[in-house]
Amino acid sequence: MEDATRALGKGSLPPGPVPEGLIRIYSMRFCPYAHRTRLVLRAKGIRHEVININLRNKPEWYYTKHPFGQIPVLENSKCQLIYESVIACEYLDDAYPGRKLYPYDPYERARQKMLLELFYKVPHLTKECLVALRCGRECADLKLALRQEFCNLEEILGYQNTIFFGGDCISMIDYLFWPWFERLDVYGIADCLNHTPALRLWTAAMKQDPTVCALLIDKNIFLGFLNLYFQNNPDAFDYGLPC
Amino acid sequence: MSGGSARSLGKGSAPPGPVPEGLIRVYSMRFCPFAQRTRLVLKAKGIRHEIININLKNKPEWFFKKNPFGLVPVLENSQGQLIYESAITCEYLDEAYPGKKLLPDDPYEKAYQKMVFELFSKIPSLVASFLRRQNEEDCSGLKEELRKEFSKLEEVLTNKKTTFFGGNSVSMIDYLIWPWFERLEVLELNDCADHTLELKLWMAAMREDPAVSALLTEPKVFRGFLSLYLQNSPDACDYGL
Repeated sequence: MEDATRALGKGSLPPGPVPEGLIRIYSMRFCPYAHRTRLVLRAKGIRHEVININLRNKPEWYYTKHPFGQIPVLENSKCQLIYESVIACEYLDDAYPGRKLYPYDPYERARQKMLLELFYKVPHLTKECLVALRCGRECADLKLALRQEFCNLEEILGYQNTIFFGGDCISMIDYLFWPWFERLDVYGIADCLNHTPALRLWTAAMKQDPTVCALLIDKNIFLGFLNLYFQNNPDAFDYGLPC
Repeated sequence: MSGGSARSLGKGSAPPGPVPEGLIRVYSMRFCPFAQRTRLVLKAKGIRHEIININLKNKPEWFFKKNPFGLVPVLENSQGQLIYESAITCEYLDEAYPGKKLLPDDPYEKAYQKMVFELFSKIPSLVASFLRRQNEEDCSGLKEELRKEFSKLEEVLTNKKTTFFGGNSVSMIDYLIWPWFERLEVLELNDCADHTLELKLWMAAMREDPAVSALLTEPKVFRGFLSLYLQNSPDACDYGL
């Protein structure tokens, strides 16, 4: 995988300018938000380089890329910086030729953006479930809330009667949702999909997508990362990389 | 547009018919800053439209079929398509209608406007909290937070060295953030901009913009609305009609 590089931390040298013909993404191998942008880079066949950031030990120079040191951030050869995962994904779709991930039709584009609003509680809820479980706490209420959000998404698929959220082919909205669904199993909350068959079909269809497949994170490696992360081990981010 | 001064529809009102061809409808409320974004874009692009005002303190049952969240603004076109969330409605109008483009064509400049929009994102809830404040401590705390947010926007203008947030002419990002700045005076929050000179210059320049000035609400009418709205009066939305 292009992103199989060690994370840069405090004291690391700032990277040089981005070579022409390439775009750079500042990322972290297990971050769901950066995952969105990596999916789009892959889906559109955009030549890119990945610089992983140690999120528990951020390089001082990284704050010149993002005021709060967040990922993902795109940097192009004109030194332009783009952040917020959704903004980065749209930028890539607009700036690069080839397959368009957002529809051309203004109403269909708006629909995808409205669907994204429906999704907004999911990242927070999945993270809270993960933290609760890892800290040995109960999370029945959180899982109930997450199931409710999944029911809302189920309703959309039922109403549309399509496999994917944008129609019968995979499109931007599916890639924007995917990272959290990929993590349900490794977070220990895959049973939250028990009552949403259309959503389960969607996840199965997503796993057949070449882009999703190419970026799928090995479950054992992810678990290894999570174990170290919850022990506050700063080497967590490099778990699974060859020594 | 005369539709802008129509009485709001409430519970028990008949649902409106389909939208005639050649027109787009916006479900709105005369004093709502989010709906004002959409009305500014409609005006700036010269889009023929009709306005149906909703009584937000007594919503018609049929309105939830237009937007399950029951919020304004909502756009409805003659194909029966519904678009909601103010920023999404604005972008839809810019893409669907010809004429002056409010969002830049350049992908980076467009992304830049969206990043500035994120920088602005805490301001609406701060202003809303200010309206609901209970005491003087809340007040000074909130004003301090507002000043911080204004400084972030000041930095953008200082770095760009342009009058407006997207360059030297008004564009989408200016319209998206304007409604809250229009309300600063009547909310007695103008002093929060005391140390942000470029922002003050921007506010003055915005007042000269034709779309902005056409949609300005008189401070005393806004005050009348606000007083009733904070008391949850069902007559608030029609104040001044």
